[in-house]
Amino acid sequence: MAEGLVVIVRGIIGFFTLLIFARLLGKEQISQLTFFDYVLGITIGSIASELTVDLSSRAWSHWVGLATWAALGFLLEIITLRWRFAAKFIEGEPTIVIMNGKIMENALKKMQLRVSDILQLLRNKDVFDLQQVDFAVLEPNGQLSVLKKPEHRNLTPKDMNIATEATGISTELIYDGIIIEENLRQLNKDKKWLADELKKHGLEDASEAFIVTLNPAGSLYIDKYEDHIKKITDIGDYKGPY
Amino acid sequence: MAIPVATLVLFITIMLSGNYLKQPLGTEDNVPEAIEGIIKNVMQDNWGEVETETENLEAAWKKVVGRIQFSLERDEINYFTTNLARLQGAILARDKSSALIELKEAYNHWENLGK
Repeated sequence: MAEGLVVIVRGIIGFFTLLIFARLLGKEQISQLTFFDYVLGITIGSIASELTVDLSSRAWSHWVGLATWAALGFLLEIITLRWRFAAKFIEGEPTIVIMNGKIMENALKKMQLRVSDILQLLRNKDVFDLQQVDFAVLEPNGQLSVLKKPEHRNLTPKDMNIATEATGISTELIYDGIIIEENLRQLNKDKKWLADELKKHGLEDASEAFIVTLNPAGSLYIDKYEDHIKKITDIGDYKGPY
Repeated sequence: MAIPVATLVLFITIMLSGNYLKQPLGTEDNVPEAIEGIIKNVMQDNWGEVETETENLEAAWKKVVGRIQFSLERDEINYFTTNLARLQGAILARDKSSALIELKEAYNHWENLGK
């Protein structure tokens, strides 16, 4: 029995099954995971690793375990989407930990959190002074949402009555020296227009550009392969292998 | 969606293929028939015949293992191989009862493969 070969085949089965199930289970980022999602992920990953290397039992039994956990995870996602009461129970709900500038000790106790934990989460949000906080809400994914007191909020153009132009998302016109024709078509532009614009910025050909984007206001961002920067700032703090 | 579904179907087919692949595909890989033949000859003390048939059983088992190793459990496969080694010892000693014990246990492992 060629164990190495068997492990390779079972590894391929485990890897792609996990990939397919993970896609099925949603697109939540690690930072958005609730504690249960996190545990679910670890368990499913652990079953997949057993499927690969535990040759003492059939791959099928591990695979069924993997599919069951993924199916239950998927089912819970559907339930929490459609039934708010269940979502509250399964995913938890946001908890106010600071209200009107006052720390809610009972809420902290209930969630088994120390004040130092809240201070750390506040620092992560660039808040170093408790006096600045009006409301702080601990989200089900463990992140803290902070509402500062009005006098400590950032000044916006609206506060100053300054007129602003609408902004939007830039569109890539050249990526890695290659023109993205589909994006040009969507913006009702053509290659000739792009060539003229590049010439204005001193580029003879699209292949000289690393990336070119166009924002809705009509201005181009161009980055060439040759940056002509003589002194590059090194942010490393000690000498290393690279 | 078609590619992931096809991939999962392929994986399931590979994982469940063992039960079908352990069945004989020709005349030289019929493990249960070989075991039954050896049992019959052991009962009749035809040790020369038993030796030849045991070699055939080993060859048949090797063929089957090559097919089922990806889908069935290693433990049962190893237990069966151990039974074959013990059977050879029993044959050398002309020990009828030990040979029958090993053969019956090997048959049991064969039955359990894929269950």
